[in-house]
Amino acid sequence: MSEYLLEMKNISKSFSGVQALDHVNFAVRPGKVMCLAGENGCGKSTLVKIISGVYTRDEGEVIFEGKKITKITPAEATRLGIQVIYQDLSIFPNLTVRENLAINSEITANRRFVNQKRMDATAKEALSKIGHKIDLEAKMGDLSVADKQLIAICRALLFNAKLIIMDEPTTALTKKEVEALFKTVRKLRDKGIAIMFISHKTEEIFEIADDIAIMRNGKNVYLGTTADITPKEFTYYMTGRELTDKHFVPKNISKDPILEVKNLTLESNYKDISFDLRKGEILGITGLLGSGRTELALSLFGLLKPDKGDILLNGKKVKITSPIMAQKLHIGYVPEDRLTEGLCLHQPIADNITLSSLKRLSNKLGLIKQKDILEDANIWVDKFSIATDDACKHASTLSGGNQQKIVLSKWLSNDLDILILNGPTVGVDVGAKQDIHDLVHELANQGLAVIIISDDLAEVVANCNRVIVMKDGMIVGQMESDEITNQAILDIIR
Amino acid sequence: MEAKQKLRRFTRRTEFYIFLVLVVMGIVIQSMSGGQLFEVNSIVDIARAMTIMGMFALMNLMVVISGGFDLSFPTLASLAYSAATTICLTQGWAQESAWIAFLLSGAIGLVLGMVNGFIISRFKLNTMIVTLGTQTLFLGISMGLLQLSEITSTLPLGIRYFGEASLFEVYSSTGMRSTMPVAFVFFIVLAVIVWFVLKYTMFGRALYAIGGNEISAERAGFNVKKTKFWLYAIVGLVAGLIGMLRVAMVRQAIPKGLNGWDLEVIPAVILGGASIYGGEGSVFGTIVAVTLITVISNSLLLIGIDSYWQDFFNGLVILAGVTISAVQAKRRSI
Repeated sequence: MSEYLLEMKNISKSFSGVQALDHVNFAVRPGKVMCLAGENGCGKSTLVKIISGVYTRDEGEVIFEGKKITKITPAEATRLGIQVIYQDLSIFPNLTVRENLAINSEITANRRFVNQKRMDATAKEALSKIGHKIDLEAKMGDLSVADKQLIAICRALLFNAKLIIMDEPTTALTKKEVEALFKTVRKLRDKGIAIMFISHKTEEIFEIADDIAIMRNGKNVYLGTTADITPKEFTYYMTGRELTDKHFVPKNISKDPILEVKNLTLESNYKDISFDLRKGEILGITGLLGSGRTELALSLFGLLKPDKGDILLNGKKVKITSPIMAQKLHIGYVPEDRLTEGLCLHQPIADNITLSSLKRLSNKLGLIKQKDILEDANIWVDKFSIATDDACKHASTLSGGNQQKIVLSKWLSNDLDILILNGPTVGVDVGAKQDIHDLVHELANQGLAVIIISDDLAEVVANCNRVIVMKDGMIVGQMESDEITNQAILDIIR
Repeated sequence: MEAKQKLRRFTRRTEFYIFLVLVVMGIVIQSMSGGQLFEVNSIVDIARAMTIMGMFALMNLMVVISGGFDLSFPTLASLAYSAATTICLTQGWAQESAWIAFLLSGAIGLVLGMVNGFIISRFKLNTMIVTLGTQTLFLGISMGLLQLSEITSTLPLGIRYFGEASLFEVYSSTGMRSTMPVAFVFFIVLAVIVWFVLKYTMFGRALYAIGGNEISAERAGFNVKKTKFWLYAIVGLVAGLIGMLRVAMVRQAIPKGLNGWDLEVIPAVILGGASIYGGEGSVFGTIVAVTLITVISNSLLLIGIDSYWQDFFNGLVILAGVTISAVQAKRRSI
């Protein structure tokens, strides 16, 4: 028997002429955590779907526990002990925890009738596998994401899983929840279960992985242990280019502040917030979830009305009561959740980019000039190198990073003075992240005033020339240029 | 302790509130009508009036739980019973006993339901659009292709006798007579069967699972296609039977006799706590909602309100039901 639980050799797969996987080699050791990394569209999910039997490979060899497997079907994968926990967790929000845990086993056993007692026993057995306690009667939809994930893991364990594949499990989790998840993952690993962890977050991968496989453009570019690779090499393999953390150094800061905030207060959200912002600056506002950072941003954009305090624009007092008003004052806001708040996914890219500048693009009668829309959009597609060959395609055809670029250009096409970015690179892979950062630097140097709100400390440190740290709704620290370090911020927050 | 928890869970459900509304409405109408509502004969009248609607609602409950809508059941049922009655009439069947008429109507309903099921499961289409199409298609078959005509006085005797059969008779204090039709027993039986299927069979749980998250259901190993196909096929079969039951009760088979029922029955199901997005709903809630709607429309006359107002009140009830359902779904998603 080989040292590997699962071995894949020269796997290829193409879809209608497009090569999704090109002679990929891949192997998982039992009782180890293997991270499969790569940017969006590199073939990660195709590989997973071949392992789980959803897709059939065009060529190549799959060996599981030393035995060659000719054809994998989803049922066969389950029988072998391969379980996939998809990003959406495949749960039923309308059913109880008990039923969510037990229903798969009931189906596999080919039952026709439901027996509550048997389901109860199955559910309890499942929870006992990781020693977790949850009310079995609770509705799945009412649980937190972390709990839902644990349920999904427990359910997978019921099938004597030997290999658990987790598809980007940390995306919707807070830092604390990620730690808890990692604890569970380690527990499973120590029981001899192999975990395949799909991610593109460098930090997390280096924390949890024993082995790493990196894919790029359908090819396997690295396969080895975590110890043999540095984070820098890792990023290089993933993106295919040398990425350097360029610290932002402001080149032309205006003398007078463009925005001044004085004693701004919104009861139970934030209190006594005062700061100013100059053109050409990138100001970071950081703090833990619930520190009031997002609420503050929403107030600056007219979405949450503050109770007290003043906002001054170019020295003049203003009341920002709505996003429309904020736009008139040349303030732009890019929300945290780019998918639900900032984009019409099923609309063309061009329409998305020009959505907030339609006034400028319409004639005197108020009719929209279609030709100008496309022209305007194409300028931004070029400028941001948005990866599309046709701006008339739907925004949903793009990867996360490129979608974020659309949201950015939507606001920038509208002649802004102040741009507020809330978590600008959440869920964006390293390459696109770098593009977005470079762009923001360039914009600031052209005279834009930027506020970055983020809990990604590395991001704040690399991109801001000034940082405000918030805690429990108050400003607890401010630092400038060289003072800004990961540690300095952490010291204040903790 | 556990009983207390169960009670608390129950009071949080839509069904509970609809039930409260029913009780309050009952008391109000009772006092406004001078005690006529709780007369035995008026209760029997309500039971009679809700039998057919309740049965259709039970079948639609299963569809709504699975995340779908069946708008085609009225024309499906009328095509089934009209064709079945016409066949009986031309062949001279069903003169003594009605079973052959039910058999035919059920069989035709099953075939038509299979058409729905096939299109919906094979092509993964939106159920509302598909059944809107087949609704018109079935009407077209009965009116245009088969040119089925109304059957009233010539209704086969077996069917007529079946409709006239009653469980018992009651008289009000003023001497008004009301009879409890045998059909009411079928309603109760159907309610028990649907309740059992939804709660204790994998088929029923599959409906909830598919309504909750279809992709998850597929991944969990449910045969979604097969489940959906048989759901619509069975709904077709039972709709055919219910249709014939109605023919017996009203002693006529009219090809357009059920037009518009979809817009009364489906909102009733939603009012009863079933989610318009699927995955939620119960037999209890559906029956309470159907009772509520029947009580309202039966009682308006009782308390002297013009029957034109009936549509107005029905409209209000529909709006209330759909709003509650949507608000609850929204609250859950936050």
